[in-house]
Amino acid sequence: MSETAFLEAIKNSQGIIYKLVGLYASDAEERKDLYQEVLLQSWKAWPTFRGESKFSTWLYRICLNTILTQKRKVNRIDYLESLEPVEHLATDAANHKKEEIERLRRAIRSLPETDRAIISMHLDGYDNGEIADVLGISTNHVAVKLHRCKQQLANLLKL
Amino acid sequence: MSIEKTWKDIDEQSDEALAALLKPRVLERLQSKNPLATIKKNMLINNIWAILIAAGYLLVIIYFPFWQTRLCIGFLFLYTCWAIYSTLQEYNNIKKSSPGNSVLEEMERHYVNISKWIKMQLRMGIIIYPISAAGGFMLGGTVGSGKSVDQIMAKPVMWLALFIVTAILVPCAFYLAKYLSHRAFGRHLELLKRNIDDLKEKI
Repeated sequence: MSETAFLEAIKNSQGIIYKLVGLYASDAEERKDLYQEVLLQSWKAWPTFRGESKFSTWLYRICLNTILTQKRKVNRIDYLESLEPVEHLATDAANHKKEEIERLRRAIRSLPETDRAIISMHLDGYDNGEIADVLGISTNHVAVKLHRCKQQLANLLKL
Repeated sequence: MSIEKTWKDIDEQSDEALAALLKPRVLERLQSKNPLATIKKNMLINNIWAILIAAGYLLVIIYFPFWQTRLCIGFLFLYTCWAIYSTLQEYNNIKKSSPGNSVLEEMERHYVNISKWIKMQLRMGIIIYPISAAGGFMLGGTVGSGKSVDQIMAKPVMWLALFIVTAILVPCAFYLAKYLSHRAFGRHLELLKRNIDDLKEKI
Protein backbone atom coordinates (compact mmCIF):
# COMPACT_ATOMS: atom_id res chain seq x y z
CA MET A 1 0.00 0.00 0.00
CA SER A 2 1.37 3.39 -0.95
CA GLU A 3 2.65 6.26 1.13
CA THR A 4 -0.04 8.48 -0.37
CA ALA A 5 -2.83 6.16 0.81
CA PHE A 6 -1.25 5.99 4.26
CA LEU A 7 -0.92 9.77 4.54
CA GLU A 8 -4.49 10.21 3.37
CA ALA A 9 -5.77 7.80 6.02
CA ILE A 10 -3.67 9.48 8.74
CA LYS A 11 -4.81 12.96 7.69
CA ASN A 12 -8.42 11.86 8.06
CA SER A 13 -7.75 10.59 11.59
CA GLN A 14 -5.03 13.01 12.69
CA GLY A 15 -7.32 14.27 15.46
CA ILE A 16 -6.58 11.03 17.36
CA ILE A 17 -2.82 11.65 17.25
CA TYR A 18 -3.24 15.32 18.11
CA LYS A 19 -5.54 14.62 21.07
CA LEU A 20 -3.58 11.71 22.53
CA VAL A 21 -0.16 13.32 22.20
CA GLY A 22 -1.60 16.46 23.81
CA LEU A 23 -2.62 14.39 26.83
CA TYR A 24 0.83 12.94 27.47
CA ALA A 25 3.51 15.31 26.14
CA SER A 26 5.06 17.74 28.60
CA ASP A 27 6.21 20.38 26.14
CA ALA A 28 6.42 21.28 22.44
CA GLU A 29 9.65 19.36 21.93
CA GLU A 30 8.22 16.18 23.41
CA ARG A 31 5.03 16.64 21.42
CA LYS A 32 7.06 16.77 18.21
CA ASP A 33 9.02 13.66 19.21
CA LEU A 34 5.83 11.76 19.96
CA TYR A 35 4.21 12.80 16.66
CA GLN A 36 7.28 11.48 14.84
CA GLU A 37 7.37 8.22 16.75
CA VAL A 38 3.63 7.59 16.33
CA LEU A 39 3.84 8.26 12.60
CA LEU A 40 6.90 6.06 12.20
CA GLN A 41 5.35 3.15 14.12
CA SER A 42 2.06 3.52 12.20
CA TRP A 43 3.93 3.57 8.92
CA LYS A 44 5.88 0.42 9.88
CA ALA A 45 2.65 -1.32 10.89
CA TRP A 46 0.65 -0.06 7.87
CA PRO A 47 1.26 -3.22 5.77
CA THR A 48 -0.44 -5.25 8.52
CA PHE A 49 -3.63 -3.16 8.43
CA ARG A 50 -6.17 -5.38 6.70
CA GLY A 51 -9.27 -3.32 7.33
CA GLU A 52 -10.75 -5.90 9.74
CA SER A 53 -11.12 -3.17 12.35
CA LYS A 54 -11.79 0.52 11.81
CA PHE A 55 -8.67 2.50 10.84
CA SER A 56 -9.30 4.82 13.80
CA THR A 57 -9.29 1.87 16.27
CA TRP A 58 -6.09 0.51 14.72
CA LEU A 59 -4.48 3.96 14.97
CA TYR A 60 -5.67 4.39 18.57
CA ARG A 61 -3.93 1.16 19.57
CA ILE A 62 -0.68 2.13 17.86
CA CYS A 63 -0.79 5.65 19.33
CA LEU A 64 -1.30 4.39 22.89
CA ASN A 65 1.28 1.61 22.55
CA THR A 66 3.84 4.07 21.22
CA ILE A 67 3.15 6.91 23.64
CA LEU A 68 2.99 4.78 26.79
CA THR A 69 6.23 2.94 26.02
CA GLN A 70 8.18 6.01 24.96
CA LYS A 71 10.62 7.67 27.37
CA ARG A 72 8.94 10.87 28.47
CA LYS A 73 9.74 13.77 30.77
CA VAL A 74 8.22 14.21 34.20
CA ASN A 75 4.93 16.09 34.09
CA ARG A 76 4.91 19.13 36.33
CA ILE A 77 1.65 21.01 36.16
CA ASP A 78 -0.18 22.83 38.89
CA TYR A 79 -3.51 21.27 38.07
CA LEU A 80 -5.73 22.80 40.73
CA GLU A 81 -4.84 26.38 39.89
CA SER A 82 -5.01 25.86 36.16
CA LEU A 83 -8.47 24.33 36.32
CA GLU A 84 -10.15 27.44 37.70
CA PRO A 85 -12.56 28.84 35.07
CA VAL A 86 -11.21 32.03 33.50
CA GLU A 87 -14.45 33.56 32.29
CA HIS A 88 -13.16 37.12 32.34
CA LEU A 89 -10.93 36.27 29.39
CA ALA A 90 -13.69 34.73 27.34
CA THR A 91 -14.56 37.75 25.26
CA ASP A 92 -16.17 35.79 22.45
CA ALA A 93 -17.45 32.32 21.65
CA ALA A 94 -14.19 31.18 20.00
CA ASN A 95 -12.13 32.17 23.01
CA HIS A 96 -14.61 30.56 25.35
CA LYS A 97 -14.39 27.32 23.36
CA LYS A 98 -10.58 27.41 23.52
CA GLU A 99 -10.66 27.89 27.26
CA GLU A 100 -13.10 25.03 27.73
CA ILE A 101 -10.87 22.77 25.65
CA GLU A 102 -7.84 23.78 27.68
CA ARG A 103 -9.63 23.16 30.98
CA LEU A 104 -10.80 19.73 29.85
CA ARG A 105 -7.34 18.82 28.58
CA ARG A 106 -5.74 19.85 31.87
CA ALA A 107 -8.35 17.97 33.86
CA ILE A 108 -7.71 14.77 31.88
CA ARG A 109 -3.96 15.27 32.17
CA SER A 110 -4.33 15.31 35.94
CA LEU A 111 -5.63 11.71 35.84
CA PRO A 112 -3.28 8.69 36.00
CA GLU A 113 -1.81 7.85 32.57
CA THR A 114 -3.85 4.69 31.98
CA ASP A 115 -7.06 6.47 32.97
CA ARG A 116 -6.34 9.15 30.37
CA ALA A 117 -6.37 6.42 27.72
CA ILE A 118 -9.69 5.06 28.99
CA ILE A 119 -11.48 8.40 29.19
CA SER A 120 -10.22 9.57 25.79
CA MET A 121 -11.42 6.37 24.09
CA HIS A 122 -14.74 6.68 25.89
CA LEU A 123 -15.16 10.30 24.81
CA ASP A 124 -14.36 9.27 21.24
CA GLY A 125 -17.30 6.88 21.31
CA TYR A 126 -15.66 3.50 21.91
CA ASP A 127 -17.63 1.03 24.03
CA ASN A 128 -16.16 -0.71 27.07
CA GLY A 129 -15.44 -3.90 25.11
CA GLU A 130 -13.37 -2.04 22.52
CA ILE A 131 -11.49 -0.13 25.23
CA ALA A 132 -10.81 -3.41 27.08
CA ASP A 133 -9.49 -5.01 23.90
CA VAL A 134 -7.09 -2.16 23.16
CA LEU A 135 -5.81 -1.97 26.75
CA GLY A 136 -5.67 -5.72 27.41
CA ILE A 137 -7.92 -5.73 30.49
CA SER A 138 -11.44 -7.01 31.24
CA THR A 139 -14.59 -5.12 30.32
CA ASN A 140 -15.59 -5.03 34.01
CA HIS A 141 -12.30 -3.45 34.89
CA VAL A 142 -12.85 -0.78 32.23
CA ALA A 143 -16.34 -0.09 33.57
CA VAL A 144 -15.05 0.41 37.14
CA LYS A 145 -12.17 2.58 36.04
CA LEU A 146 -14.36 4.63 33.73
CA HIS A 147 -16.84 5.29 36.52
CA ARG A 148 -13.97 6.52 38.72
CA CYS A 149 -12.54 8.67 35.91
CA LYS A 150 -15.90 10.34 35.28
CA GLN A 151 -16.29 11.14 38.97
CA GLN A 152 -12.80 12.60 39.16
CA LEU A 153 -13.35 14.66 36.03
CA ALA A 154 -16.68 15.97 37.31
CA ASN A 155 -14.99 17.00 40.57
CA LEU A 156 -12.12 18.66 38.78
CA LEU A 157 -14.38 20.55 36.39
CA LYS A 158 -17.01 21.11 39.11
CA LEU A 159 -19.84 19.98 36.87
CA MET B 1 -20.97 22.80 27.70
CA SER B 2 -20.72 19.01 28.00
CA ILE B 3 -17.43 17.18 28.24
CA GLU B 4 -18.27 15.18 25.10
CA LYS B 5 -18.95 18.36 23.11
CA THR B 6 -15.74 20.01 24.31
CA TRP B 7 -13.77 16.86 23.46
CA LYS B 8 -15.22 16.86 19.93
CA ASP B 9 -14.25 20.51 19.55
CA ILE B 10 -10.61 19.50 19.84
CA ASP B 11 -10.96 17.85 16.41
CA GLU B 12 -11.31 21.32 14.91
CA GLN B 13 -7.89 22.29 16.23
CA SER B 14 -4.63 21.37 14.51
CA ASP B 15 -0.92 21.51 15.12
CA GLU B 16 1.59 22.75 12.55
CA ALA B 17 4.23 20.36 13.92
CA LEU B 18 1.98 17.42 13.04
CA ALA B 19 0.85 18.85 9.70
CA ALA B 20 4.52 19.31 8.70
CA LEU B 21 5.08 15.56 9.09
CA LEU B 22 2.12 14.55 6.96
CA LYS B 23 3.87 15.20 3.67
CA PRO B 24 5.32 12.81 1.10
CA ARG B 25 8.94 11.72 1.60
CA VAL B 26 9.02 12.92 5.23
CA LEU B 27 8.34 9.42 6.61
CA GLU B 28 11.53 7.92 5.21
CA ARG B 29 13.61 10.51 7.07
CA LEU B 30 12.10 9.77 10.49
CA GLN B 31 14.34 8.10 13.08
CA SER B 32 12.93 6.01 15.91
CA LYS B 33 13.70 6.98 19.51
CA ASN B 34 11.87 3.94 20.85
CA PRO B 35 13.78 2.66 23.95
CA LEU B 36 13.88 -0.97 22.77
CA ALA B 37 15.07 0.07 19.31
CA THR B 38 17.82 2.11 21.01
CA ILE B 39 18.81 -0.87 23.19
CA LYS B 40 18.96 -3.15 20.15
CA LYS B 41 21.18 -0.64 18.37
CA ASN B 42 23.41 -0.43 21.47
CA MET B 43 23.64 -4.23 21.59
CA LEU B 44 24.99 -4.30 18.04
CA ILE B 45 27.50 -1.50 18.76
CA ASN B 46 28.57 -3.24 22.01
CA ASN B 47 29.16 -6.47 20.12
CA ILE B 48 31.33 -4.76 17.51
CA TRP B 49 33.41 -3.27 20.33
CA ALA B 50 33.50 -6.62 22.14
CA ILE B 51 34.90 -8.33 19.03
CA LEU B 52 37.63 -5.69 18.76
CA ILE B 53 38.40 -5.97 22.48
CA ALA B 54 38.54 -9.78 22.27
CA ALA B 55 41.06 -9.45 19.41
CA GLY B 56 43.09 -7.11 21.66
CA TYR B 57 43.01 -9.71 24.46
CA LEU B 58 44.38 -12.31 22.08
CA LEU B 59 47.30 -10.03 21.20
CA VAL B 60 48.05 -9.47 24.91
CA ILE B 61 47.96 -13.23 25.55
CA ILE B 62 50.38 -13.83 22.67
CA TYR B 63 52.82 -11.00 23.42
CA PHE B 64 52.97 -11.08 27.24
CA PRO B 65 54.33 -14.46 28.34
CA PHE B 66 53.38 -14.25 32.03
CA TRP B 67 50.98 -16.92 33.26
CA GLN B 68 49.28 -14.53 35.74
CA THR B 69 48.33 -12.00 33.04
CA ARG B 70 47.50 -14.82 30.62
CA LEU B 71 45.17 -16.34 33.20
CA CYS B 72 43.34 -13.04 33.84
CA ILE B 73 43.20 -11.94 30.21
CA GLY B 74 42.38 -15.48 29.06
CA PHE B 75 39.42 -15.50 31.40
CA LEU B 76 38.34 -12.08 30.11
CA PHE B 77 38.69 -13.33 26.54
CA LEU B 78 36.43 -16.33 27.23
CA TYR B 79 33.96 -14.16 29.11
CA THR B 80 33.88 -11.62 26.26
CA CYS B 81 33.17 -14.42 23.76
CA TRP B 82 30.33 -15.64 25.96
CA ALA B 83 29.04 -12.05 26.33
CA ILE B 84 29.02 -11.61 22.53
CA TYR B 85 27.00 -14.82 22.19
CA SER B 86 24.53 -13.98 24.96
CA THR B 87 24.07 -10.42 23.64
CA LEU B 88 23.23 -11.85 20.22
CA GLN B 89 20.71 -14.19 21.85
CA GLU B 90 19.14 -11.31 23.78
CA TYR B 91 19.09 -9.24 20.58
CA ASN B 92 17.07 -11.94 18.85
CA ASN B 93 14.82 -12.36 21.88
CA ILE B 94 13.66 -8.74 21.67
CA LYS B 95 10.90 -9.44 19.21
CA LYS B 96 9.47 -6.76 17.01
CA SER B 97 6.36 -5.08 18.32
CA SER B 98 3.15 -6.54 16.95
CA PRO B 99 0.49 -3.97 15.99
CA GLY B 100 -2.07 -6.37 17.49
CA ASN B 101 -0.51 -6.18 20.97
CA SER B 102 -2.65 -4.64 23.67
CA VAL B 103 -1.28 -1.67 25.61
CA LEU B 104 -0.66 -3.92 28.64
CA GLU B 105 1.25 -6.52 26.57
CA GLU B 106 3.34 -3.83 24.93
CA MET B 107 4.23 -2.14 28.24
CA GLU B 108 5.18 -5.52 29.75
CA ARG B 109 7.34 -6.33 26.73
CA HIS B 110 9.23 -3.07 27.20
CA TYR B 111 9.51 -3.46 30.97
CA VAL B 112 10.85 -7.04 30.83
CA ASN B 113 13.35 -6.39 28.03
CA ILE B 114 14.74 -3.16 29.48
CA SER B 115 15.10 -4.77 32.93
CA LYS B 116 16.93 -7.74 31.37
CA TRP B 117 19.29 -5.41 29.56
CA ILE B 118 20.13 -3.55 32.79
CA LYS B 119 20.71 -6.83 34.67
CA MET B 120 22.95 -8.04 31.88
CA GLN B 121 25.03 -4.87 32.09
CA LEU B 122 25.41 -5.15 35.87
CA ARG B 123 26.23 -8.88 35.74
CA MET B 124 28.92 -8.22 33.17
CA GLY B 125 30.25 -5.44 35.37
CA ILE B 126 30.54 -7.63 38.47
CA ILE B 127 32.56 -10.28 36.63
CA ILE B 128 34.57 -8.07 34.29
CA TYR B 129 35.68 -5.33 36.70
CA PRO B 130 37.62 -7.38 39.32
CA ILE B 131 39.45 -9.46 36.74
CA SER B 132 40.23 -6.59 34.41
CA ALA B 133 41.41 -4.50 37.39
CA ALA B 134 43.79 -7.28 38.48
CA GLY B 135 44.94 -8.01 34.92
CA GLY B 136 45.39 -4.33 34.14
CA PHE B 137 47.36 -3.78 37.34
CA MET B 138 49.82 -6.59 36.57
CA LEU B 139 50.07 -5.72 32.89
CA GLY B 140 50.68 -2.05 33.69
CA GLY B 141 53.38 -3.06 36.17
CA THR B 142 55.24 -5.26 33.68
CA VAL B 143 55.04 -2.74 30.86
CA GLY B 144 56.06 0.17 33.11
CA SER B 145 58.96 -1.52 34.91
CA GLY B 146 60.12 -3.99 32.27
CA LYS B 147 60.09 -6.75 34.96
CA SER B 148 58.15 -10.00 34.99
CA VAL B 149 54.91 -10.37 36.95
CA ASP B 150 56.66 -12.75 39.39
CA GLN B 151 59.32 -10.10 40.12
CA ILE B 152 56.73 -7.35 40.58
CA MET B 153 54.43 -9.39 42.80
CA ALA B 154 57.32 -10.68 44.93
CA LYS B 155 56.99 -7.60 47.15
CA PRO B 156 54.11 -7.88 49.69
CA VAL B 157 53.36 -4.18 49.21
CA MET B 158 52.34 -4.93 45.62
CA TRP B 159 49.74 -7.43 46.80
CA LEU B 160 48.41 -4.77 49.13
CA ALA B 161 48.37 -2.26 46.25
CA LEU B 162 46.56 -4.80 44.04
CA PHE B 163 44.00 -5.35 46.76
CA ILE B 164 43.46 -1.59 47.23
CA VAL B 165 43.19 -0.92 43.49
CA THR B 166 40.64 -3.73 43.11
CA ALA B 167 38.74 -2.78 46.26
CA ILE B 168 38.38 0.83 45.07
CA LEU B 169 37.85 0.34 41.34
CA VAL B 170 35.35 -2.51 41.48
CA PRO B 171 32.63 -0.84 43.60
CA CYS B 172 33.24 2.51 41.84
CA ALA B 173 32.78 0.96 38.40
CA PHE B 174 29.83 -1.17 39.53
CA TYR B 175 27.97 1.76 41.10
CA LEU B 176 28.79 3.95 38.11
CA ALA B 177 27.22 1.33 35.81
CA LYS B 178 24.21 1.12 38.13
CA TYR B 179 23.88 4.91 38.25
CA LEU B 180 24.13 5.24 34.47
CA SER B 181 21.49 2.52 33.91
CA HIS B 182 19.19 4.20 36.39
CA ARG B 183 19.77 7.58 34.78
CA ALA B 184 19.04 6.19 31.34
CA PHE B 185 16.02 4.05 32.16
CA GLY B 186 15.16 4.40 35.87
CA ARG B 187 12.25 6.80 35.61
CA HIS B 188 11.00 5.19 32.44
CA LEU B 189 10.89 1.78 34.16
CA GLU B 190 9.14 3.24 37.22
CA LEU B 191 6.49 4.79 34.99
CA LEU B 192 6.02 1.57 33.01
CA LYS B 193 5.69 -0.41 36.25
CA ARG B 194 3.16 2.06 37.64
CA ASN B 195 1.07 1.89 34.46
CA ILE B 196 1.26 -1.92 34.33
CA ASP B 197 0.19 -2.12 37.99
CA ASP B 198 -2.64 0.35 37.29
CA LEU B 199 -3.99 -1.87 34.53
CA LYS B 200 -3.54 -5.04 36.59
CA GLU B 201 -5.10 -3.48 39.69
CA LYS B 202 -7.56 -5.84 41.39
CA ILE B 203 -11.12 -4.48 41.41
